[in-house]
Amino acid sequence: MSALPRPSTLFLAAITTLVAMLLYSPLFVPIVSSFFTISHGDVDWSSPTLSTYRALAANHDILAALRTTLIVGMCTVVLSVVSGTLLALYYHGRRSGRSVLQFIIFLPFLMPPIISGLALLIFFREIGLERSLLTVIIGHTVFVLAIVYRTVLMRLQSMSRSLVEASYDLGATGWQTFWRVILPNLSSAMVGGAILAFALSFDETMITILVTGTQSTLPVRLWAMMRLGFSPDINALVALILMFTVLLCVLAARFLIPRQMATERA
Amino acid sequence: MNQNTDLLTLRSVSKSYGPVPVLHDIDLSIRDGEFLTVLGPSGSGKTTVLRLIGGLEPLTTGEIRLEGQDISRMPINRRPFNTVFQDYALFPHMTVSGNVGYGLSVRHIQRKEIARRVAEALELVQLERFADRFPAQLSGGQRQRVALARALICQPRLILLDEPLAALDLELRRQMQEFLKSIQREIKTTFLFVTHDQEEAIGMADRICVMQAGHIRQLGTPHELYYKPNCEFVARFFGENNLVAGKLGPVQGELRPIETALGRLVCSISDQPHLKAALDGASAFAAFRPEALRLAGAKDNDNRLSGTIADLAFAGSSTVATITAGADNAAQRLRLRMPSRIDGSMLKSGETVSLSFAPHEGHLVLA
Repeated sequence: MSALPRPSTLFLAAITTLVAMLLYSPLFVPIVSSFFTISHGDVDWSSPTLSTYRALAANHDILAALRTTLIVGMCTVVLSVVSGTLLALYYHGRRSGRSVLQFIIFLPFLMPPIISGLALLIFFREIGLERSLLTVIIGHTVFVLAIVYRTVLMRLQSMSRSLVEASYDLGATGWQTFWRVILPNLSSAMVGGAILAFALSFDETMITILVTGTQSTLPVRLWAMMRLGFSPDINALVALILMFTVLLCVLAARFLIPRQMATERA
Repeated sequence: MNQNTDLLTLRSVSKSYGPVPVLHDIDLSIRDGEFLTVLGPSGSGKTTVLRLIGGLEPLTTGEIRLEGQDISRMPINRRPFNTVFQDYALFPHMTVSGNVGYGLSVRHIQRKEIARRVAEALELVQLERFADRFPAQLSGGQRQRVALARALICQPRLILLDEPLAALDLELRRQMQEFLKSIQREIKTTFLFVTHDQEEAIGMADRICVMQAGHIRQLGTPHELYYKPNCEFVARFFGENNLVAGKLGPVQGELRPIETALGRLVCSISDQPHLKAALDGASAFAAFRPEALRLAGAKDNDNRLSGTIADLAFAGSSTVATITAGADNAAQRLRLRMPSRIDGSMLKSGETVSLSFAPHEGHLVLA
């Protein structure tokens, strides 16, 4: 890189900056404008304020939506971590059927959400399940299962087989090996997968709109607010969701990226 | 701890992975209290032998007996053996004392008792000060010793070691060899040590079992393997050797000549009935060690050879000469090892030399 002549380096830097700005600056607009009042549809830059956030905190609809989102998120996390871990444990080391299973697990995650949502909607109607928070939780679990499964499976695959062998060799039973060796070594992958699952559930809109009953989650609420017209609380809400999601992703990365091995003593 | 009683016996044990056979009809007896090394190149099946004994793999056919009792189907966690794995397999989420005490705590032994025995085991491997460290905070040699302490705390009848020194550098490996040997002497437990390194095998073993391609080629003391190899593979694999092909001549008491391209060589066949029984004219090799070859002082009955020095290599305490012997169309390279001298070797490359070795220092292996 250092071999490049200076003008072209500058040119490349300029292009990169421009692209980055075009791509990411829209993200910062709502954050910045959420700290100002809006009058007649325009941001009033002269008066920095937290009033939008105060209005949000007083909005009972929003608070209810937040509660719903958290309930859905927690239930989704528990369901997807338990079933994703069990599936990963079952299919680890088994060749037959694994690729089929993986395809099925990944399908809802890779398909357009509207297709997944519609498929679930039709399914729920066929089995006669009323649309409610339960259907939302099931929908989210199906959607995020792939992430948890993959995360846990990758950790399992990077775990040396001799750890399990050593446990048996030292006299442990299958249960003891599972609780005392396998599970502790999977725990950080499970926590990381759980955080990612929660972040995905927190942001999920399309499937939720299709399968929810009367209660709406935060993104669905936001969607509804947008249709009624642009109000200053939307900026604040977007800003909060954005920051929360980023926080979750950073947390997940901390658990999933292998910690640096302590330097070996000489 | 009587070294003459068999602790463990493998009887016509075979192992296949699917259609691929890796062990053919192995018979092996391990004596109580001995340090037995299974030596072989990679792919010889030596690690499979260890895994079958440890119960990590099921047998295909045959049986394994522990003091006469068939344990072929005994599950791994009930066998009174413990393994030191090649990658140590220390539990990364447990401290050193957690790792060492694991075998006791899964048996629901009281905490106080575990603490006492962990302290004892750590003292034995000289790691008392590292009890609260995690494996990632230890050096390779220390991890190795934790793995050993973890294996011997359960007081197994047999400790299985799967190339445990392979990942260590040379100096550390030498230290660990002595350390392992001294621990084995102290706790008087039977060790089964798997390695591909013949120097390691010679240095530590009471007996060595040489394996190749899923067969046991020879089982004996290091001395027996070195001076009386029973086949070409062992003769070539175990230590440096000169092998010259030829046809056997008629037996002359404890000696037997072999006609080779380098002339008639007479070698010892004492205590080797199969060499006495071999037919005249059978294909065989004369084998003699580089240190058995002499440049001068030949006695009347010694085998005589001549050749040209192709290369001289100084190797510290000794110097190795590579010598081309025989006619051009049947030229053969021989190695001669002699003590190094401070004033340098008197030999020069290209020089023609006459060589000799005594009949009792040569041996025969059938081709």
